[in-house]
Amino acid sequence: MTTVTGKAEVRRRLPPGRFGVLRKIWEHRADYAYVLPAIAVMLVVIAYPIYYTIELSFFKTPPGLQLRDKTFIGFGNYTAILTSDVFWRVTWNTVIWTIGSTFISFVLGFAAALALHRDFVGRGVLRAILIIPWVISAVAASYIWKWIYHSDFGIIGAVLVGLGLADRPPNFIDNVSTVLPSLIVVNIWREFPFAMIMMMAGLQTVPDQLLRAAEVDGANAWQRFWHVTFPHLRNVSTVTILLLAVANFNSFIIPWIMTGGGPSNASHIWITHIYELAFGRQRWGVASAYSVLLFLILMTLGYFYVRALSGNDRKEGSP
Amino acid sequence: MTRITLGSAVLRGTVVGVLTASLMSTSALGAPPVDLSKWSPEYVRSIAGTQDFDTAADCAKVTPLDYKGRLTFWYQGVFEGDPDLLRQYYKDFFETFRKTYPNIQLEDQALTYNDLLDKFRTALLGNAAPMAVRLQILGGTEFASKGYLQPLKPEDVGYSTDDFWPGAMKAVTWEGVTYGIPTNNETMAFIWNADIFKRAGLDPDKAPATWDDVVKYSKQIHDKLGIAGYGLVARKNAGNTPYRFMPQLWAYGGGVFDEATANPTYSQVELDSPQSKAALQASYDMYVRDKSVPVSALTNQQADNQPLFVAGQLGMMISHPSDYNVMLDLQKKATGTDKDKAQTVIDNMRYGLIPTGPDGKRAVVFGGSNIHILKPEYVEGGKVDEPAAKAIICMWTSPEWSLKMAYAGSNPGNLNGFKTKWMKERLDNIKFLDVTTSMLPYGIPFPALPQSPEIMNIIIPDMLQNALTGAMTVDQAADDAAKKVKDLMGGL
Repeated sequence: MTTVTGKAEVRRRLPPGRFGVLRKIWEHRADYAYVLPAIAVMLVVIAYPIYYTIELSFFKTPPGLQLRDKTFIGFGNYTAILTSDVFWRVTWNTVIWTIGSTFISFVLGFAAALALHRDFVGRGVLRAILIIPWVISAVAASYIWKWIYHSDFGIIGAVLVGLGLADRPPNFIDNVSTVLPSLIVVNIWREFPFAMIMMMAGLQTVPDQLLRAAEVDGANAWQRFWHVTFPHLRNVSTVTILLLAVANFNSFIIPWIMTGGGPSNASHIWITHIYELAFGRQRWGVASAYSVLLFLILMTLGYFYVRALSGNDRKEGSP
Repeated sequence: MTRITLGSAVLRGTVVGVLTASLMSTSALGAPPVDLSKWSPEYVRSIAGTQDFDTAADCAKVTPLDYKGRLTFWYQGVFEGDPDLLRQYYKDFFETFRKTYPNIQLEDQALTYNDLLDKFRTALLGNAAPMAVRLQILGGTEFASKGYLQPLKPEDVGYSTDDFWPGAMKAVTWEGVTYGIPTNNETMAFIWNADIFKRAGLDPDKAPATWDDVVKYSKQIHDKLGIAGYGLVARKNAGNTPYRFMPQLWAYGGGVFDEATANPTYSQVELDSPQSKAALQASYDMYVRDKSVPVSALTNQQADNQPLFVAGQLGMMISHPSDYNVMLDLQKKATGTDKDKAQTVIDNMRYGLIPTGPDGKRAVVFGGSNIHILKPEYVEGGKVDEPAAKAIICMWTSPEWSLKMAYAGSNPGNLNGFKTKWMKERLDNIKFLDVTTSMLPYGIPFPALPQSPEIMNIIIPDMLQNALTGAMTVDQAADDAAKKVKDLMGGL
């Protein structure tokens, strides 16, 4: 914060109107000083990598050469990506992965939040248990689920065979048709507690008097939910869905550890494909172009996230 | 199966002459310390324990023992599929190095086979690589061709080029310059459970002679006992996959290029040849037609086969002699009746030569690891402490430690290792060692090309997965893989 003396001084030095922006900066110089270290760090660890990735995306980087031997090819990498079959397959996988994981996690999380919002014996214990998948390391969870799904000796298969419900264990992750849905189930298991926590927090903000008033007016449970509770949760729902979508678009650990994108690329999503292109196949240019496209998509989601948050702020700030 | 029978098999091998010439052709510099033309289990036994070596004294000539310096060093270390015995030797090595060179500040980092290349490539991009690195045999050419490595030959650390397998030296040579030194070289063998064979109506003491027999045996085991016959491995980005599929591919007369010939030129892609397709068809027949291998083969690596084998749920697999020690380790961890079951498997564990193809061709991957020194500009801090790097390289590639660090699973890179007292002790202690040393003359190195890691770790497993999942037919999968190799070689 600047002092009154400082503001007065700058007003005296700078003619009004002509140097308005500079004056505002000067007035808030202390604020800028506070955020400067954070901005400096961001420039180094975020802005420069983004710039370098964008730059690399316009170069061909043959795997047999060092990165410094790259050659400029303009939009060649982008053209190559958009005309390749792999791109569309991986994109389709990513869309299914993101939408499936996001919406089912949200719905399950919301349902769990509504259930846990009621007062009943053991609510605290149940809440703690449901949070466990979210606090477990994704790496550990991936290995555990890999064994649960194991096509020869997985627990699910053993139970189904033991109960006589199947002749042989189902093939979850070694089959091109079932691998992606199987991974989505794991992702939902890990993510729905996050949605649950967010929605539980949102439910705390729904005014009791409104619900009681609706009840007095004769609204049934569904009407109270739809006309009172849900409108109050619209913003927190938007934020939760956007955060889940961004996290799912960026997911790496579960698909990479459980299947490495296989079998036959059936579980490759953008991030795992980018990783394989860059670090496994050393196509840094193509991988960078993919990353730029992913960045643009995530920035779009980020815009809506910020807008949703700003909407919240405006609503809270309004009289 | 006896050692004598195996030795005779080696000497009688119809194709052995060509492959031996490829691996063992000596350089003009001088005679190797062992007579490679006589290579057999009997010969290996006859030379074991015939010479003493003083590692510290030898390395003192390269780097004085009181040398003061600092070394950053990454290496392909032990992983979950290795026996505890090997872990102990790795521990002993670093303790001994620190005692021998007390003034060298060593910052060592172990990475697993499947992680090392990715991490090392990333570090190189940021000029943050270690000063010295021990890489899998596939990696040497890639990094040498890109100019990351310093020229380094055995003579630089007090040994002779002839002290190492000529085939292994090819893997560290790029455009006539040597960029590293082999630490260990390995060939695997065929392992089966005699009890399972007996129960399935097969001869318990006879390994399948051909790969077609493997397909038949696998089906018979599965049909009669309801368990997996052969431990197929087709995971992507896992070294285990090419180490198990390439012997099959070569045995059928196929290849990625002409790497199975005495003087490969790598000019023609052979993955779409009828022979290569026949090899892929054999895997398809086991996985899809007969369903006689683990369904989880597509996500499995050898470490996943080991528990299946010790549980008596797998009849055959390809691996190192160290798998016997791994089985012992796993048996120690078992409880109750599982312990007895595991013991039955161990008692019935048999090793034999890897089967031949339809024309009698027998092949195995000539694998191993190499050690290298980086150029200063790619190293964190921009400096390489060469005397310190040479000290650790001298010690690791010495007859003593190149043997000890390969004690259970591999063979010493330095041929003098076969003459040490530790080799003699090892022949007595490590079961089935003869079989893998017998496979050495059949060893074929991966193509010595910078593109080899991508071919072996990504394109070959992709081809297998495309065929085995039904995403493509066998023909399409082979053609697709061949096209990818051609594109890769064309710089795409």
